[in-house]
Amino acid sequence: MTTVLAPVAGHVVGLAGVPDPVFSGGLVGPGTAIDPARRAGEALAPIDGLILKLHPHAYVIAGEDGRAVLVHLGIDTVLLKGEGFRPLACEGARVRAGAPVVAWDPVAVASAGKSPICPVVALDARPGTLTTLLAAGPVRAGEELFRWGGGYD
Amino acid sequence: MAVRKVIVESSAGLHARPAATFVQTAAKAPVDVTVAKPGGTPVSAKSILSILALDVRSGEVIVLNADGDGADQVLDELAAIVSVP
Repeated sequence: MTTVLAPVAGHVVGLAGVPDPVFSGGLVGPGTAIDPARRAGEALAPIDGLILKLHPHAYVIAGEDGRAVLVHLGIDTVLLKGEGFRPLACEGARVRAGAPVVAWDPVAVASAGKSPICPVVALDARPGTLTTLLAAGPVRAGEELFRWGGGYD
Repeated sequence: MAVRKVIVESSAGLHARPAATFVQTAAKAPVDVTVAKPGGTPVSAKSILSILALDVRSGEVIVLNADGDGADQVLDELAAIVSVP
């Protein structure tokens, strides 16, 4: 069982609220999404684990049990080529849930014409293994979003 | 055994969006499908985690491998997905 925390503060909108059919259709995996508060801040690790991949605009944290969570800071933000994002940790490092991973500014992302909405996705999760703890509404960074029980492939 | 060596043309590499389409297509195949960087360890093409961890950038070459009925078809589909700029 893994409890996944909100990496950013804002409003929980669910994957259905992501303006990208690949995320909203659950093709990347099940999970949720947060429309972040429009102020510069730090994106946190959603679970304890290893920073498996760290891009300026997205990161994957893999827990010791093999469950891994993707946090994507905005949509199509790979095209910003790191502008407005500053990694605060290193790939391969171990982090605790709630530790800062990337400093970013959702206002800058929005000004660049990209949606700052952040999908938080359970990678390779089997259907029906997530329990939603916070389906919609305001959320603080570090608050519990969903539980991931059962298995992963 | 079917093998394809293809250049990833997607501008974002094999990341979130192309990666998801790639994994969904591979997952539908009735056979095991692997992907590797040349000389690297093959990983399952059906795992989004494995594909994101492989971290394929635009312009990199990947080697696709499948064996059994429908192997050629799924590799052709996967090669087509990564060939879209």
